Amino acid sequence: MKPANQIIRQVLRGGVGVLTAMMLGGGTLSFAQESVSVRATLMTGGVPVDDPNAAAWSSAPPATFPMSPQVHWQNRIQEVTVKDVIVRALHDGKQMAVLVEYTDPTQDPDDAAALEFMVGDKKAHFAHGQPMLQVEGGPVNIWFWKNKSGKAVDMNAKGFGTLKAQEHQDVKAKGAYSNGTWKVVFSRDLSTGHAEEDVQITPGQFISIAFAVWDGRKDGAGDLVEKGSQKAVSSWWYFRADAPPDYSGYMYAAIAAALALGFQFVLIRKLKKGQSA
Amino acid sequence: MGALGKPIILMVGMYAFLKFVLPNIPGSAPLPSSLIFLYLLLTASGIVIFETLSGESKDAFWGPIQRFLTGENIGGLQALRYGVLILFPLLVGWQTYGSTAVSDLPPTESRTIHPAPPGEYTGLSNPVPKTPENIMQGKGFYAAYCSPCHGGNFDGKGPAARGYIPSPANFADPTTIAMLQESYLFWRIKKGGVGLPIEGAPWKSAMPRWEVELPDEWIWKIIMGEYDGAHQSPRTWE
Repeated sequence: MKPANQIIRQVLRGGVGVLTAMMLGGGTLSFAQESVSVRATLMTGGVPVDDPNAAAWSSAPPATFPMSPQVHWQNRIQEVTVKDVIVRALHDGKQMAVLVEYTDPTQDPDDAAALEFMVGDKKAHFAHGQPMLQVEGGPVNIWFWKNKSGKAVDMNAKGFGTLKAQEHQDVKAKGAYSNGTWKVVFSRDLSTGHAEEDVQITPGQFISIAFAVWDGRKDGAGDLVEKGSQKAVSSWWYFRADAPPDYSGYMYAAIAAALALGFQFVLIRKLKKGQSA
Repeated sequence: MGALGKPIILMVGMYAFLKFVLPNIPGSAPLPSSLIFLYLLLTASGIVIFETLSGESKDAFWGPIQRFLTGENIGGLQALRYGVLILFPLLVGWQTYGSTAVSDLPPTESRTIHPAPPGEYTGLSNPVPKTPENIMQGKGFYAAYCSPCHGGNFDGKGPAARGYIPSPANFADPTTIAMLQESYLFWRIKKGGVGLPIEGAPWKSAMPRWEVELPDEWIWKIIMGEYDGAHQSPRTWE
């Protein structure tokens, strides 16, 4: 019977389609998740904004980023203490906290760390949003913590020399030093009322983040070795706050499987009828 | 199953050829899976057209498939039939799930590594005479200003390089300065990371804007020292 043949052809075409999709999909499934992004894990209950040693941090996957001496602009530095930062993040849908951990052999009053984000849709150069010569870039939002002040400063910059504390201070920070390791937690609400100045964090969306660290040690003459632009820096990486779990994919999968099953059933029935006819 | 045997062998053989044999032919490269699929699809269509040319061959081709699906007189293949009937809906479901799931991967970056320079930086020739003294001086400037990132061995592995990703250019690699003109290097050294156009985004280049600190003559000498030290020659159009 002719219709039966056509149906079979359709089934074969569908089957081949599925196999293809598997072949194509297989390529993307095998990607290992390297440290290219910080993932803020969604949690319930309070985000540990004041506690760099809270148990909750163990539920956040750590990401390690290499650091370099800042060489882009004067004054440069050729060697820095901190070689890597390990970063974890948590959020509860309202507040977020980022834990930056790094090795520093001495605890000094001038030890400091900072996070940097792009603000709005415009891209920015990772070095303080240095003005680009051919394109107009955007500003950066910098969250700066220093050991001796014990708090964070929420700042903006659009190029070296333009760093300025905001009127609205929305960021908190707390550091804890033990066994040659700093753990500094920065926290803020995911969104603020100042989208022109502050990075706005939408769960599920990737944004850009960079890191800076100053070892506040002094040299023989009593001068700070790392200060201002003389610091350890990273270039841009990604940050994403996890979106709430979405189970609709399972539902669509179930519907598709049910349709395929029904299709098979109808097809075989038709074929059987055709044979007996 | 006689009429189906040959097509199956043909498909398997074709796949094996595309996947394992073709990439090993000199001058060839592994095929992307999308291309392999396209070729297999063409092969399958060819088979179907060929097998359905005449009424007899059509029945010989579709007959076994029909019998398999209806499960009549297939004996030992009954278990396989159930397997296929169960697996197919599951595959469709899995595939649907895969295509609706949100990716965990960050956005792909389509950075242009060597974007076009502004017009005034094309076709400039090095005004500094290529003498051993000038090359030596260029290498001295290189050691002072460039080697912390680009490395004393011109390999991009200087002590300050580790945190900068993408890594500082490795001049000994034949795909960097060897395929660029001196004029291009002059632009990149002078303007640095902030001189990149939008195609160069996401602007992770820490390359300083050396025009602020070094006279042009020094930059031309550094270029000379770089080519010499890395044992490369500038690209020319002759």
